[in-house]
Amino acid sequence: MDELISSDGTPAIQATGVIKAFGAVTALRGLDLTVGSGALAALLGPNGAGKTTLVRIIATLTRPDAGRVRVLGYDVAAQPAQVRARIGLTGQYAGLDEELHGRDNLVLIGRLTGLPRRQACEQAAELAATFGLGDAMDRAVRTYSGGMRRRLDLAASLMSRPAVLVLDEPTTGLDPASRQQLWGALAGLRAEGTTMLLTTQYLEEADRFADVVHVLDRGLIVASGTPAQLKARVGDRVAEIRLTDPAGTVTAALALARRLAVPPGEIRTEVGAGRLTLAARDGTATLLAVAAALQADGIGVEDLRLRQPSLDEAFLALTGVAA
Amino acid sequence: MTAASGRLARDTGLMAGRQLRVLRMNPGRLIYPLVQPLVLLVLFVSVLGNLAITQQAGGGSYREFLIPGVIIQNAALTAPTTGLALLRDAGSGLADRFRSLPMSRAAVVIGRLASDAVIFAVQAILLLGAAALLGFRIRTGLAGIAGVVAVAVAAGLAFAATSAWLALLIKDAETAERILFFPAIAIAFVSSAFAPVGELAAWMQPIARANPVTVAAGLVRSLASGTPTVSQLLQLACWVAALLLVPGFLAVRRWQAPA
Repeated sequence: MDELISSDGTPAIQATGVIKAFGAVTALRGLDLTVGSGALAALLGPNGAGKTTLVRIIATLTRPDAGRVRVLGYDVAAQPAQVRARIGLTGQYAGLDEELHGRDNLVLIGRLTGLPRRQACEQAAELAATFGLGDAMDRAVRTYSGGMRRRLDLAASLMSRPAVLVLDEPTTGLDPASRQQLWGALAGLRAEGTTMLLTTQYLEEADRFADVVHVLDRGLIVASGTPAQLKARVGDRVAEIRLTDPAGTVTAALALARRLAVPPGEIRTEVGAGRLTLAARDGTATLLAVAAALQADGIGVEDLRLRQPSLDEAFLALTGVAA
Repeated sequence: MTAASGRLARDTGLMAGRQLRVLRMNPGRLIYPLVQPLVLLVLFVSVLGNLAITQQAGGGSYREFLIPGVIIQNAALTAPTTGLALLRDAGSGLADRFRSLPMSRAAVVIGRLASDAVIFAVQAILLLGAAALLGFRIRTGLAGIAGVVAVAVAAGLAFAATSAWLALLIKDAETAERILFFPAIAIAFVSSAFAPVGELAAWMQPIARANPVTVAAGLVRSLASGTPTVSQLLQLACWVAALLLVPGFLAVRRWQAPA
């Protein structure tokens, strides 16, 4: 990851030992995280893992109880103004005035970041064109579709041309086409060198777009790496077997483990459903080996397939604990 | 310091501009602060205007006593909308957006008060216009009219700052909607708006005498008929300064505070 650190060696985001509790609930438990300059980093984790809390601390909205977070070298607690001048936030809920036109929103936000009126207007028009919102700029935001609202929100976060952009579940609730459009826009920003940290619950999304993925579980980063590195640990794909006789699930799992020479713990069983799953490290070859092994032991199979690992399975593989 | 106050002024203007634009696009929002007061004025004057209530010194008609009270009363009844509007912002993603920008956080609250000052001014002017049609005269000319509008705006802002603080203290918008109008109604009615303080129930009199609605209504009556006393001006100035500084400051603080 060294190539992702900027030339002067300052990471875009550096969190060390961050602790944040809300009453009895501890959201972050001594979290460490480094995002290199120019990287597109994904923070992957289930609901309640602490993703939003971390994003809010980085965006100076929430103060950590302990630990330190620096954005481009500025401390979020001691120098929030410097951080705010350099960061863009796309929160989980659109930060827009629903009653104003799209253009009014962008110009207002641009001017609040300190742009002169004329420059704010020019920038608003430019971003609207980039995000395919040109026709909608003179309509109230409350008439926008979910995808349009998300894109306008992203455009609003970019009015100040931030060096670092944090996005909290930017694609949640979007249809596949809008999701693609949003990802296209983020790819453009990455090409311009904007550092991005985004949270997601979707493994596939982190996998396809991020340079680095940080897996967050119950307030701690439990694994970090490129998608390829993480997948090597999770298994690229999962072989899923549904047995004819659910009662024989455990026996079948043990037999399969012996035949494939893998530790029995690597085969996950759902006894009620008669389902076995295991990492298919060699893809179809694993699937064929599974089929051969089950046939050799005379175990009846209802269904046999390869699929993407679910977030649950990724968690199990990376943390040893079910999400 | 100058950079910070320059930014506060600029951002206050931007926020006030935003709110006035929203009103222009949603004129229905103006019914409560601008149309309902006119209806109340006509109702109160029609129902109560011909009563022969004992007059204080000066001896004008009851109508001349009632109308200044209705003007200030309406400012008090409009003030809760300031707090509710701030809570609407606080409850939307916009709050996080504003807090993450390198803008003055105080401008969110102060800008809201600035745009509401415009509402209070227009409300007072409309009420004075309607009152003129009902036969109400300000005998002190343009200066008197300007004075009455200034008093209504000052009192309105003092109540609005208080509603901003209470709303941000209550936090939940729906709860605030049900709570905030209660103190507004209390100060609007436990006052000299309808009758001289001496005519009110005995237990009510000390409260009504201290009530800023009474102070402001008395000042408007004096401005309409002649020259107000220094003591009247000082009393109102103290109330307005106290409410703008204390609840106003606390409202700004509550908006600024990070979670």
